[in-house]
Amino acid sequence: MKCTEIYELMPDLAAGMDAAMPAVNDHLKSCAACAGKLEEFRQTMALLDEWRAPVPSAYFDTRLMARVREEKAKPSGWLQWMRKPALAVSLAVLMVMSITLFRTDAGKNVSDRGPIAAVVEPGTAVGDLQALDKNGELYSDFDVLDDLQVQQDVTANP
Amino acid sequence: MGRASADAETPPAVARSSTALSDAEVMLRVKAGDDSAFEYLVQKYRRPMLNFMYRMAHNAAVAEDLAQEVFLRVYRSRENYEASAKFTTWLYRIATNLAVNHARDTRHERPEAVVSIDEPDEDTGLTVDVADTSLSAEENILRRERMAAIRERVQALPERQKTAVIMHKYQQMDYRQIADVLKLSESATKSLLFRAYETLRVQLKEFV
Repeated sequence: MKCTEIYELMPDLAAGMDAAMPAVNDHLKSCAACAGKLEEFRQTMALLDEWRAPVPSAYFDTRLMARVREEKAKPSGWLQWMRKPALAVSLAVLMVMSITLFRTDAGKNVSDRGPIAAVVEPGTAVGDLQALDKNGELYSDFDVLDDLQVQQDVTANP
Repeated sequence: MGRASADAETPPAVARSSTALSDAEVMLRVKAGDDSAFEYLVQKYRRPMLNFMYRMAHNAAVAEDLAQEVFLRVYRSRENYEASAKFTTWLYRIATNLAVNHARDTRHERPEAVVSIDEPDEDTGLTVDVADTSLSAEENILRRERMAAIRERVQALPERQKTAVIMHKYQQMDYRQIADVLKLSESATKSLLFRAYETLRVQLKEFV
């Protein structure tokens, strides 16, 4: 075995997590550098053992289970997203902007079509009212009507 | 589910029948709505998670919060859980992500490691005077200096090396498991661990 192969096995060998294979033992017997390094690794591992972790607090489970209960009580799906204030505000702003844009656009389209084009269905009550409303000035000036020629068929068949 | 003290004495129902079940199978029970299965997993991995988080975060209170967050994330993800990987791999991947994010977010907040004989031992909660009655005050101070040095040197390792050392040395995870969590090849993990221990060997030589 090569020294580099021994290096890769050294963490497990030093930690006692892996029994050395015969080939590893043979190498260690013949290579003082690897044997010395392994011994130093073992000492470092023993030093690292001194770093102990504290015991869990008595309230760990109580706190965790309370948080799990809160989790269960939360509304599921998209309603949960609505509980996030930033998201809710963003959504509200987006909705207001969409409505405003839609209304502005709709109004613009109507005015673009001109006074007569505003009539939805000519001859219907709604259409006539819209025409009257939009063309108030036109119909209030009755002098314009004087320029119109009376149709013959109308006078012939009252 | 909130029977913290009773839980240790009375194992959840799933614990009695789970001797033949793998953790992944227990997690599938959690997915199916069995809360006692979740309780079983908490009991089983609470201590390992706390130990892992303590060494990653260097603070007992933060470690508890992070360990709780790990279990909460497990619970939140229950419906999407697929038993495609080992449960512990999944668990440690969640824990590692949380710990690394915490370290990144608090990089500028962490105080320098200092040794004080007046403040309680962070590990034991005891002051030096009563930390270990079998040792003299001087020996206790030396012990605390060694502890501080170990913490500092492990903390100073690159993030992946530190995580790998904590998993290998303190969580007794093998190369394959560490490789799976860190998404590395087994060979790369061996090399990573050797470099990490080599650094620690050199830097902690004076304390050996």
